[in-house]
Amino acid sequence: MIEQKSLSKKDLVIAYWRWILFSNCNYNYERLMATAVVFSFKNVFKKLYGDNKVEYKAALKRHMQFFNTEPHFGSIIHGIVLAMEEQRAQGKPVTDEAINGIKTGLMGPFAGIGDTLWQGTLTPILLAFGLSMGSQGNLMGPLVYSVLMACIMFPIGYMCFMKGYGLGREGIEKVLGGNQIKKVITGASCMGAVVLGALAAQFVTVSCPQTIQMGALSMGMQKEVFDKLFLGILPLGATLLTLYMLKNRQMKPTLVTGIMVLVGMVGGVFWIL
Amino acid sequence: MTIEFWQAALIGVFYYLSQTGSLFFGCIGSLSILYKPLVAGTIVGFILGDPVSGCIIGAAIQLPYIAFISAGGSQPMDPGLAGYVGTAWAMVAGVSPAAAVTIALPLGLLGTMIWIAHMTLDVTFVHMADKAAEKGDLDKICFLHVWPPQILLFFLSVIPATIAVYYGADAVADIIASLSSTPLHVLEVIGGLLPALGIAMNLRAIGRTGTIPFFILGFIFIIYFKLPITAVAVIAAIIAFFYTQLSHPAEEALASAGDSTEEEDF
Repeated sequence: MIEQKSLSKKDLVIAYWRWILFSNCNYNYERLMATAVVFSFKNVFKKLYGDNKVEYKAALKRHMQFFNTEPHFGSIIHGIVLAMEEQRAQGKPVTDEAINGIKTGLMGPFAGIGDTLWQGTLTPILLAFGLSMGSQGNLMGPLVYSVLMACIMFPIGYMCFMKGYGLGREGIEKVLGGNQIKKVITGASCMGAVVLGALAAQFVTVSCPQTIQMGALSMGMQKEVFDKLFLGILPLGATLLTLYMLKNRQMKPTLVTGIMVLVGMVGGVFWIL
Repeated sequence: MTIEFWQAALIGVFYYLSQTGSLFFGCIGSLSILYKPLVAGTIVGFILGDPVSGCIIGAAIQLPYIAFISAGGSQPMDPGLAGYVGTAWAMVAGVSPAAAVTIALPLGLLGTMIWIAHMTLDVTFVHMADKAAEKGDLDKICFLHVWPPQILLFFLSVIPATIAVYYGADAVADIIASLSSTPLHVLEVIGGLLPALGIAMNLRAIGRTGTIPFFILGFIFIIYFKLPITAVAVIAAIIAFFYTQLSHPAEEALASAGDSTEEEDF
């Protein structure tokens, strides 16, 4: 007889908080969030596999694999995986490959969605709001920023986690089959890109202080040439060039920082920039 | 203004708490809140007895890091160190918020060494956790996940930040006084370029092709139409909604046709 081991709401809530509060404690270059996944499922593993030494060890090893995603939106993966582990413990044929496949298959897309919406869209908008007060010395600026951030992101993480568990119970085919996830990715990347464009316009500042002497006529490079061509052409160009170095040339961000410092030094010393 | 040792140490402890993955409410409490120079500057202001000045300086230091992103295990700048140590230095030197940005800039670049050090050293604890997994010792994995890396991170972050605040402040005040206009201009230029890195990293994190037109659209909304950023965000959401509808038409119709495997091939 197969004993029906199932997870209670309390198990899920505990796993969520263990994940969201400790996701990056042992962040490292080799396997990033691997130990965080095992840490967050502690109570689940004990409940599901506590009486089966073989399965228990297998579960620990299964989740010691490379894992990296954005913690809040990505917690949907944890929800799905918990539902799969539950079904496995109930004797259903859920293989190691299926579980690892879901984790590695979804961690990239959800890192993309999550980072775009959290660090690329929400954070800069809230910061711009907080800065407008903070730069006047109004202490409400940092306070409102912090409170809004916490009140938006913790519930988002919680909803994604529970949503993932629900999806996982309905069946993996449904998670991967429909184009729901693709729709979310498309929408998020589109919105994120527009907001990032706005941020580039507001916060990247590059200008050319040079003037060209042509006989009696002196021409300010910035006002007479670049601004006439296209307002903000230098900051836009600088941002797109940075993207090109990162994306097309696959340069490390640290190297790109180095290049920026170098360009800034050369440009600054000769007052070209 | 002079800084007492306990003040420097307290600033160092807050710098630790601001590190991604510290024990302060996960990534939201650390990376998203305490690590922001706006918040860091205000905290330093409270510790040094002038929260309003701290807040103003922190807001200025925040600017180059507005679109800062930590993704894929990479953190090419350290707004936290710029925020905590930079604000403390600026307050002791009594400089303007604009000059504070330039003081903080080298800190933001140097601080990445702390990140690289703990991301590298933490690998040791993963290998120890592997051994524990072989033995089926879950409690040990949980211990290894939290305590050794956090104690390591505590020392890696508190010690340099405390020393920098306690011993660096006076020296920096002298250096600032002696700087001519060109070095300050160089730092200003670099500070103006840096937001481009965060923005480009965000764009790369999106990971889709065909986002550039949307990016340029957002740029034009600000440069030519002078819209506030919240308005741009709302317009962006509307554009995203319609674009999604158009590029993924009528899921239901396809599902009812019973052809769910080829729904993306058109």
